[in-house]
Amino acid sequence: EKMASKVSVVLRPVKSIMVRFCPFEPNVESTRKFLQCIYHKKIQATNTNCEVTTDVRHDGSEPVVDVMFADGDRLIMKGAHLTTGEMLTALASRCNAKDLKEEQKNKKKNP
Amino acid sequence: VPVPVLVLSAAPAAWLPALQLLRRGSKAVTRHWKAMHFQRQKLLALTEYVRPRPAVPPRCLPRRAPEGQQEDGYARVLRRQVEQTLRGSRMVAVCQYNSLPEEDVATLRHFLRRHNIHVHFVFNEVVRPVLAQSKYRNLLPLFVCRNILLVSPQAPAREMLRVLKGVPQVNLLGACIDDTILSRQGVENFARLPSLEASQGQTVAALSLLSSQTSSLLQRGPAHLTALLDQHIRRLRDTGAATEPPLGQSTGDH
Repeated sequence: EKMASKVSVVLRPVKSIMVRFCPFEPNVESTRKFLQCIYHKKIQATNTNCEVTTDVRHDGSEPVVDVMFADGDRLIMKGAHLTTGEMLTALASRCNAKDLKEEQKNKKKNP
Repeated sequence: VPVPVLVLSAAPAAWLPALQLLRRGSKAVTRHWKAMHFQRQKLLALTEYVRPRPAVPPRCLPRRAPEGQQEDGYARVLRRQVEQTLRGSRMVAVCQYNSLPEEDVATLRHFLRRHNIHVHFVFNEVVRPVLAQSKYRNLLPLFVCRNILLVSPQAPAREMLRVLKGVPQVNLLGACIDDTILSRQGVENFARLPSLEASQGQTVAALSLLSSQTSSLLQRGPAHLTALLDQHIRRLRDTGAATEPPLGQSTGDH
């Protein structure tokens, strides 16, 4: 919760987030925390069109976070050996970069 | 600060007090902050309390083994509550709880209560020792991050799945239904099973299938014979409608 408020993620350029994990495995804690942070009100408030789907399996597969951006890019994070903070900062940095790009594009269109 | 001043005067008849308190600036007790006189400051600094130090500093002495943490009464109460809920329930489902606005929590509780499912918010530190000693040992790895328990004395898996499908923030991780630990797919398969009466009927039908087959086999011969005789009678009747008595009598003899 604190992490979610410290790392402000702007989800505007994100189309959908898919989180897949296997809860009986021991390496899913960071992915589950990431999922919890994503559902924080501040982050959800930045983009209500973003669909967050959770896929709970039981096949011993690794936890994966699959982010689809509005411009077609895809970010796949394998959370087995990542911490929540790392995943959040990675997502935040990419979102901010895309946001800046869009703002520049809009500025060029409407000077 | 009133300063005592010695005053010597020329007039011998009257005498002036030996000391005359002079008013210099403000009084001793003021409403604003007043700086301490320098002499007073020095005196207080000199006479500050110095703690007596032990001869051997305590970090050089052998350390005692850390005592077990004090058992919190509140934790004990919560643990007892969880034990009671687990004992009296046939179905225990563990879900991950991502934050929901309060009205949504109340609505979810209402819809689940309709199917006699109780929502129980749990702390991991409280629940882990309870689970480790009970039969739900294998559900231990699920208790990371915020979780809720859905407990019920019956096992309404279908209704629970339907309600949870409408709430994306609560993810079903696993369940223990009738002493069987199930994953999410297991719960979905369990929900797809027919009801107890229907499955009992199916079992009875499957068991009696062989005997019914045998009986139908045994009856095949006589049934065939009966059908043939019926057909024969019908044909005779049709032809006997033209030539009645003698054929009717001959069939009567048989």
